Amino acid sequence: MTTPVDLTDQLSNQVSSGALIACPGCDLLHHRQRLHTGEFARCERCADVLQTRKPHTIDRALAAVLAGIVLLLLSLCLPFMSLSRSGIESTISVLDAVSSLWMSNMRWLGLMTLGFIVLLPLARLVLLGWVLWRIRFGRKVRRSMKLAFRWALKLEPWAMADIFMVGVVVSLVKISSLANLQVGLAFWSLLALVALSVLINLLLCRDTVWIHLSPNR
Amino acid sequence: MDTSEPKSLSARQAGLKACTICGALYAIDHQRACDRCGARVLSRRRHSVQRAWAFLFVGILAYIPANVFPIMLTRSITGDTSDTILSGVMVLIESESYGVALIIFVASICIPVAKFVIIAGLALSLHFDWDMSEHTRHRLHKLTEFIGRWSMIDVFVVAVLAALIQLGAILTILPGPGINAFALSVVFTMLAASALDPRLLWDTDNHVR
Repeated sequence: MTTPVDLTDQLSNQVSSGALIACPGCDLLHHRQRLHTGEFARCERCADVLQTRKPHTIDRALAAVLAGIVLLLLSLCLPFMSLSRSGIESTISVLDAVSSLWMSNMRWLGLMTLGFIVLLPLARLVLLGWVLWRIRFGRKVRRSMKLAFRWALKLEPWAMADIFMVGVVVSLVKISSLANLQVGLAFWSLLALVALSVLINLLLCRDTVWIHLSPNR
Repeated sequence: MDTSEPKSLSARQAGLKACTICGALYAIDHQRACDRCGARVLSRRRHSVQRAWAFLFVGILAYIPANVFPIMLTRSITGDTSDTILSGVMVLIESESYGVALIIFVASICIPVAKFVIIAGLALSLHFDWDMSEHTRHRLHKLTEFIGRWSMIDVFVVAVLAALIQLGAILTILPGPGINAFALSVVFTMLAASALDPRLLWDTDNHVR
C-alpha cells in the first residue's frame, strides 16, 4: 500500500518532478514509491496496481513473446484435429477450418475465428516483440514504438485463444457420440500458447517499458 | 469541496489529470497528447456513460435474435435438427454431459444477462447518485471486464463443429443465424464495459448525463 496525498502538499512541484502518480482505476493521487526489484505498489483505495518493477523484464518478456510467435505459427499449419466416422477420415488445421468456413458460405464465422484466434493474437505478439526487441538491442526509440506498445496493451482482451481452447474441448464432448475425434499437435501447441500468454502478462513490466520508451522524462 | 479537509484527493480534485495508459500526470488544462506514451489524456472519458448505454443497448438488442434463432443446424441421414442456445443446453443435459452443459449455460446465458444487469446498474447508479459503496461498484466493474470475453465459448464451439463436421450426406453441421447475433452481442457488451470509465464510479461530485 502506498500513502495517499493530502491537500497540504505542494502539488505543482511534485507533478513536474514526477513524484506523484494517480490510480488508473479510481484517480486517487499517491506519492510515487521507489520500488525494489520484484515489488509492486497498489492503490490504497481500490487496490489496483499502481507501479510494478519486475526483474529482467525486457529479456524475459521478449523470450516469451518470441516463443509465443513460434507456437502460434506452428499451431496454424500442424493438424489440429482429426475426425473419423463410417470409414471417412478428415484431418484439419486451424487454417483449414477457417477456409472451410469461408468456402461453405459461413464467412462471418470464419472471419471471426480467424480474427480472434489468429490475427489479433499474432498482431499483439508481433507488436510486443518488435518493441521489446528494439529496446533490448538498444535501437533508437521511435514514436511508432509507443503507438505499437499502446495497441499491444489494448488488444489483450480481444485475443481469445484461451476461450477458443475451452470451446474446442466442449465441441469434443458434444460430438463424441457422433464421430471419433482426436486432437493433433496443433492443439497442444495452442494450449502451450495460452499458458505462455499468461506468462507474458506476468513477466511484462509496463512501467519499465514506458521508462525505456521515454528516456528524457 | 467540503470545508472539512478530506484526507486524500483524486487527481481531478487536485486540478490534475492522469494518463491511464502509462500513469503520467498533467495539469487539467493540458491540451496535447501524453508526452510519455502518446495517448490522449482525459480526466474522465468523454460521454463515458452515454457510450456505455449505446453499446449496451445494441448488445441487448442482438441478444434477442441470438436466443430466438437457431445457432446450429445438424443435417444427417436421420433428418435435420436445429438448436437454439437453450435447446443446445437441454440436449447436453439429456445426454448426461452435465459439466459441459453447465459451462455453456453459464457462458451463454448467465454471463451475458449478468453483464447487462451490472452495466445498466452501474450506469443508473451514476445517473441517480445511488447510495452504493464505491468498492462494490469497483468490484462489479472489474468483474464485467473479466468475465465478458468468456461468453464467446459458444461461438467457437459452433465454428469448430461447422468446420470439422462436413461429411456430406452422412453428417453436416451448419451455423444458424443466431450465432452471428450472439457474437455481436458479446462484442458490444465488451465494448460497453470498456466504455465505462471506472474513475467515475469513485467521484463524489458526479453530474454526468
